[in-house]
Amino acid sequence: MEHMRIFASKPALRILAPLALVLVVAGTGLVATTASAEKKLPTRTPQELLVDLQQARTDGLSGTVVERADLGIPAIPAPNGQDDPELTSLVSGTHTLRVRYSAPDKARLAVLGTYSEYDIIRNGKDVWTWSSKENAATHRTLTDEQQGQPGSTPSGMPSTPTEAADRVLKALEPTTTVTADSSVEVAGRQAYELVLDPNDSNSLISQVRLAIDGDTKLPLRVQVFGTDNKIVFEVAYTSVDFTRPDDAEFVFNPPPGAKVTEIQPNDQTPSTQDRKQGQEARTIVGKGWTAVAITKVGELSNSERDQQLKAFLSKLQPVQGSWGSGRLLAGTAFSAVWTDDGRLAVGPVRPDVIYQALSR
Amino acid sequence: MSAAELLLVKNPPRARVSTRFLRSELKIIFGRRRNLAGMGVLAVVPVILAVAVRVSAPGQGDGPPFVSAITGNGLFVAFAALALELPLFLPLAVSAISGDAVAGEANLGTLRYLLAIPAGRTRLLVIKYAAIVIFALAATFLVAIVGVIMGLALFGGGDMTLLSGTQTSMADGMWRLALSSLYLAAQFSALGAIGLFVSTLTEQPIGATIAIVLVNVFMFILDSISQLAWLHPWLLTHWWTAFADLLRDPIATESIKRGLITALVYASVFWLAAWARLSTKDISS
Repeated sequence: MEHMRIFASKPALRILAPLALVLVVAGTGLVATTASAEKKLPTRTPQELLVDLQQARTDGLSGTVVERADLGIPAIPAPNGQDDPELTSLVSGTHTLRVRYSAPDKARLAVLGTYSEYDIIRNGKDVWTWSSKENAATHRTLTDEQQGQPGSTPSGMPSTPTEAADRVLKALEPTTTVTADSSVEVAGRQAYELVLDPNDSNSLISQVRLAIDGDTKLPLRVQVFGTDNKIVFEVAYTSVDFTRPDDAEFVFNPPPGAKVTEIQPNDQTPSTQDRKQGQEARTIVGKGWTAVAITKVGELSNSERDQQLKAFLSKLQPVQGSWGSGRLLAGTAFSAVWTDDGRLAVGPVRPDVIYQALSR
Repeated sequence: MSAAELLLVKNPPRARVSTRFLRSELKIIFGRRRNLAGMGVLAVVPVILAVAVRVSAPGQGDGPPFVSAITGNGLFVAFAALALELPLFLPLAVSAISGDAVAGEANLGTLRYLLAIPAGRTRLLVIKYAAIVIFALAATFLVAIVGVIMGLALFGGGDMTLLSGTQTSMADGMWRLALSSLYLAAQFSALGAIGLFVSTLTEQPIGATIAIVLVNVFMFILDSISQLAWLHPWLLTHWWTAFADLLRDPIATESIKRGLITALVYASVFWLAAWARLSTKDISS
């Protein structure tokens, strides 16, 4: 009780006890977030790391991913007026996802909502989706041709660091400066960090940082920085375990009472049809970090979905120029213009680069 | 200091583990009519919920969390009631008890008698906080148990569909409900530590209770402002809804762990603050 004597003689000093605890907790919290690796990984050049990334393979993993997007997109009105955890909402806000992977054809992605969950499960030829909120599942059997294709989320947003890293590497071009930064720690693992600088004043992206696991060489974190050096998009593991998940985790049987929709394999699903048409009508102006994709989308119909889109567009800033007129969405990492003659131009660039591309 | 007191300080009586103080404290908490009325309100929510869902047409997707799952398995009445009472009712009950803990004694003029023995202030705070924790457990389990009884009576049990879409046994569902209740009781206990501290600042128990409820609501408001995302993990209430992670397959432990650590830190900091405050306070009533 020796140490307590000071408290007995000077009770006012007791206030130091809770304050000290606050300081200790805040201190450990800050150390945990800024901790740099204590054990240095062997040095690797940026080129070696790029090769590592492309060759990285895993025999399986399960982990938790946090995705943050601040793309400057105005809130998209959801059909029921509520914020739903489904994948289409990944374009804004913070989301927690659970990733499980054991083979290219055995993977499960779960978006963890506050009181809900949305799952996409790929097991061999079977692809299931499950929405706990709707109590509904869909099932699709992949054809042999489709099996080779990598799956993509409906929103088109990369939902795992691997997916995000693939996209970034596709955009690499000679103007990009690639440097390997000091080692970092992600999800409690030692990692390399690759820093990509586009070096293009027309691009809204000022930097992309890729954290690569020192051991497996898998991407653990991807951060995209906007022009004001703020993170506009981030997807990172908060915990990851490289043991192969049990096969049972990829088996999905719709629970009794759930609505199950069977998507016929020989049906042209709307999404694949859209994609095919889209590819025909899409032109890319420029390349790499300043590529602008122009898609002929045609007139909006009177369907419920198109009416919603119309309402959304009418909130955007009207713009015009020698290229015509339309509505501008000036995001933090990209700009998009929907022209009145039914063209959609999107790119990670300033609006004037979009106008130039449209007038070509 | 008198000679007798000096003697006691030098040779403190050997600590006897006596539950008498705690037992009398619990008798007061669970014997007060206003507290019983409060617990009655807590228990009424699952009853209303179960009856309302039973008599209305089944809706899908809309409404409060878990409610659409109730028709499939009665256990969800308990989960839905916990989710509904989590933002206000349960914290309010804990606020009332913890706000009363010290301020109530001061208000009645009984605090100085409780402190008649030297070194009694720390012990007083230990006992008072133990009673708050027991109340938090009792209140949370009351909601859960009434929910289970109503749910099973009106909708029946059976296998339960988890958030991940997998089915689990009734026993496993009960186990997950017990874990959820324990987790939430731990969270409310941390709020109770804030309450204990606030209670040492005033002699007005009602004022203390209102202040604690305000702190609770304020944390919820801060948690809803997306521009303050950096602050969210530090807020106690941010982790409360994580109890639903116990309904995933397999259980997602990450948020649960963070939530428990956050609750432990809040409880320790505010218990120590209460201790620092009470031991320097002039007790006149």
